[in-house]
Amino acid sequence: MPSLAEVQASLAEALLGSGRSDVAAMVAGDGVAPEARVDIYRHHVLASLTTALRSTYPVVRRLVGDGFFGYIAHHFITARPPTGPCLFEYGEALADFLERLPACGDLPYVGDVARLEWALNHALHAEDAVPLDLDALRSLDPAHVDGLTLRFAPSVTLLSSPWPIDTIWSANQVDADPEATVDASRGPVQLQISRRGDDVVFRRLAPAAYTFRRILLEGGGLSRAASEAAGVDAAFDVIAALHDLFTEDVLTSPPDTSGPGEPV
Amino acid sequence: MRTVAGIGLRSVHVAEVIACSPSVPWFEIHAENYLCGGPALRSLERILASYPVSVHAVGLSLGSAEGVDRRHLRRLRALIDRLQPMLVSEHLSWSTAGGKYFNHLLPVPYTPEALDRFVENVQRAQDGLGRALLIENPSSYLRFLESAIPEPEFIAELSRRTGCGLLCDLNNVYVTSVNLGLDPDAYLEALPGDRIAEFHLAGHCRNDADGVSVLIDDHGSRVAPEVWDLYAGALTRWGPRPTLIEWDTAIPALHVLMDEAQHATSLVNTLSARAHALAG
Repeated sequence: MPSLAEVQASLAEALLGSGRSDVAAMVAGDGVAPEARVDIYRHHVLASLTTALRSTYPVVRRLVGDGFFGYIAHHFITARPPTGPCLFEYGEALADFLERLPACGDLPYVGDVARLEWALNHALHAEDAVPLDLDALRSLDPAHVDGLTLRFAPSVTLLSSPWPIDTIWSANQVDADPEATVDASRGPVQLQISRRGDDVVFRRLAPAAYTFRRILLEGGGLSRAASEAAGVDAAFDVIAALHDLFTEDVLTSPPDTSGPGEPV
Repeated sequence: MRTVAGIGLRSVHVAEVIACSPSVPWFEIHAENYLCGGPALRSLERILASYPVSVHAVGLSLGSAEGVDRRHLRRLRALIDRLQPMLVSEHLSWSTAGGKYFNHLLPVPYTPEALDRFVENVQRAQDGLGRALLIENPSSYLRFLESAIPEPEFIAELSRRTGCGLLCDLNNVYVTSVNLGLDPDAYLEALPGDRIAEFHLAGHCRNDADGVSVLIDDHGSRVAPEVWDLYAGALTRWGPRPTLIEWDTAIPALHVLMDEAQHATSLVNTLSARAHALAG
């Protein structure tokens, strides 16, 4: 008699595996082929996870067509099944998966559109954060300000793409003008995706501002962020950039000036 | 405890519930949709200010040979501590194996080994959550050859050994009975009625498998007449319990769910009145 672990491994293999599973031999027919009984479960697993991906990636679905999206989802679910039960956390790897699919070769921007949709999904569900209190800045020790690191709200994603993925996204909303066309060569774009209150928002950043924020988001200090941003655009104004950042609800909790390597 | 019928809260109805405060005695939410921050949780907390809520979890995979995911248990505990729900329920099933999550309530072989493992997992979950769970009977489409223990006996023994309560889903009893050739009345007769703390009601559909008609528990329509009959039988046998109308696919307007819940409540009232008349 197979153990519980063996039964579960066999059914798991039949549901999302290679298809070579001995589970049917463990199942009573009772008037229906055991394989057909297992197929009911297999069908539901694929259908429900495809529904979850459709809901996270409506624009990708529209770009590739619903039928082809179902085909892609089936292969993606088998290759990269969920690892946990919260479905809003499932599907981040779809962008990379799409870019490796030869059939998506004529939609070179589809991977970055998927990254934008994932960032929107992430922002919608991210943990709530207390916006940074601007008064906290007044208590900063000027001697430590060069090494200042800032903490971004969990909802924030920075995304850069050679394609105008924001206009592609907007043109593929249900209420968009169906006659509107997008010039796919009008890139690159640098985007910031975040949640303000209950609203998920995204906006373009200038290349230097993007570099500035990306380094801060990755935990880099203020002086390195400012110098790399100045390398992108010699006219970069760090004071104006900080002012924008502090008034945008994308930062959280008190700034940390006690990072490694800073003067004590 | 609310003995009148509540409904499952679905995201498409949330704005209407907040704006119109419909006359619904309580709502059930799916835990895994709220293990996050953001507007969904904020809306739920507004609803919680006016309605009792029951938390229905689908992701603990209590039948898994590999045990319960401690991280998921911690997240669930945090949600329950925040919401303070009137009931917390899970399923007699598994959904995780080898690091994959299948998003489906998969069947357990009803063996002594699986029972021991299920008991252990439920005990761990109840310890982790700091409260008793209700365990729901699943809809089944297959029976494992090695299953030696009838499902209601498996459930009764689970409840006896863990102290868990039971959530008796009458649609699932019907679907399983038709699909596996069981007698639903005999099934209910074998359940320990005093352990049942909640009923679920939902719709199902009919599909073809290998040329044979099978029932699929899709929660996509009104409760079937046969399931209302089972519910009436359960009320007569055990008396009323908090009852929930579930609807998860092709979700209709809120008033349709309220209409189903009202029908369940009127059955409770009719049968209680009849019981009182008989007792008098």
